[in-house]
Amino acid sequence: MSYFRAIDPFPLESADQTKLHEFYARLADGRLATTRCAGCGATAWPPRGFCPECASDRFEWVDLPREGTVHAFSVQEAGLPAGFEGPRVFAIVKVGGHRVFSVLTGAEPGAVRVGQPVALAPLRVADGPGGGPRWLPAFRVLSP
Amino acid sequence: MRKVALVGAGVSKFGVRKATYRDLVWEAGKACFDSMPGVRPRDLDGLVVGSVMPERTAFQSHIASLVAEALGIRPSALSARTEHMCASGTVGIRYAYAFIAAGLADLVMVLGAEKLNQPSGEEAILNMGTGVDREWEAAFGLTAPPCFALAAQRHMAAYGTTEEQLALVGVKNHTHAARNPNAHFGKGVTLDQVLGSRMISTPLRLYMCSPITDGAAAVVLAAEDRARALTDRPVWIRGTGQALDGFQLTSLHEDYAHWPALRRAGEAAYRMAGVGPADVDLAEVHDCFAIAELIAYEELGFCKKGEAGPFVAAGRSDYGGDVVVNPRGGLMGCGHPLGATGVAQAAEVFVQLRGEAGARQVPDAALGLTHNNSGMGEHVVMLYGREA
Repeated sequence: MSYFRAIDPFPLESADQTKLHEFYARLADGRLATTRCAGCGATAWPPRGFCPECASDRFEWVDLPREGTVHAFSVQEAGLPAGFEGPRVFAIVKVGGHRVFSVLTGAEPGAVRVGQPVALAPLRVADGPGGGPRWLPAFRVLSP
Repeated sequence: MRKVALVGAGVSKFGVRKATYRDLVWEAGKACFDSMPGVRPRDLDGLVVGSVMPERTAFQSHIASLVAEALGIRPSALSARTEHMCASGTVGIRYAYAFIAAGLADLVMVLGAEKLNQPSGEEAILNMGTGVDREWEAAFGLTAPPCFALAAQRHMAAYGTTEEQLALVGVKNHTHAARNPNAHFGKGVTLDQVLGSRMISTPLRLYMCSPITDGAAAVVLAAEDRARALTDRPVWIRGTGQALDGFQLTSLHEDYAHWPALRRAGEAAYRMAGVGPADVDLAEVHDCFAIAELIAYEELGFCKKGEAGPFVAAGRSDYGGDVVVNPRGGLMGCGHPLGATGVAQAAEVFVQLRGEAGARQVPDAALGLTHNNSGMGEHVVMLYGREA
């Protein structure tokens, strides 16, 4: 059989494939970045190539804090998609006034609570189609 | 605007089906035409097909034309497919309604179909992840259960809603489904079975969730003059509303137990129909998860915010209560073949308002509501009446 592409569940992150490459480059460096609109000054999450407030496509990159708190969470134990295993802690993390969707790594699922402090812990996933490393913005629980 | 009514409806058997996508279309189409003696496929001038992911599950695009040919429909005024994840079917009904009300079509079928089950269950679940944002949500392994679990956690923390109250939604809807021969599940479940079922995503257990299901459903909408000529019991579209808060979880209301878009969609439909929540005899609401049905009671105005748990526990959403919610068995009992669900909800209201619902008939049903959502922030509400 000649070439066909199977499902790639992860984002295209390299500079030649996404306008948001800078986000992923900073994430690999342990920083959580997003876009600030050069037109109206609004900071968005997630980063955008088009300002939903003023329709400008000019933006600059700014770093958000590396630490935040758990706003909401659920522990999925069963029924995860192919390639993912439970228990998996899905969470909404409050970071610098934004809500960020993520997973919590290194957490004891039964011990997670709303309000708990967390820190950015980039998660390495399968390499991209061009061979480069790929990262997702995950968080780890800080004790207590 | 012209008045528009349902004049026919039919549903396939829902379940884990050993059947092709086209088999399901044939079953629902046949049942729908059987409900309209004297109407031939060629008499229709339009077709809208609600279907979410045949590209992934049947390796098939170009769905509206496939269905038209399979059923012998020859669209001359309207042919389209709608994809709006779990609300695709009702979104399709709104399109057909608008075309007919505007005078652009006269007699239109809306068919919803989905063939979700795959040889690999994990792949079937993976496909469901296409309904959330790939880059910012699905890449983490997110599908629907943890999303609705956030709402359940918050509802329990804010209002004292209990695991038992969530479970009672499952008991009620599985009990209703046992009276519906087309439902995925036919045996009912007890409170102990729900509370003892395995945890999917805290606090939602297996029998608080809808399953992955194959199925199809069809309804036919007609302009007033055609409707009156075709049947002496048309079921009239009285109101409709759609509202959206956002797509990504982080775009929704900060308190996940509040679904303002559902409230707005419901209010728009009530306003258009000139009725209120107390007038509704039966409601087919989108119980993809037990918490969704509880929040629907509140946002649709059947009870006050925070009181949905006691509302279901007191039987007020069951036969003999204030409003019969999900007499068909809901998504939890019937299953949830995405694009087919909204159309099957309409088909249930059709038979209920005509007094043809048999063992699950809601006594003297005159006004029926359907609610279909795609995520917690996107809602569609329809109101149907026995009287125009």
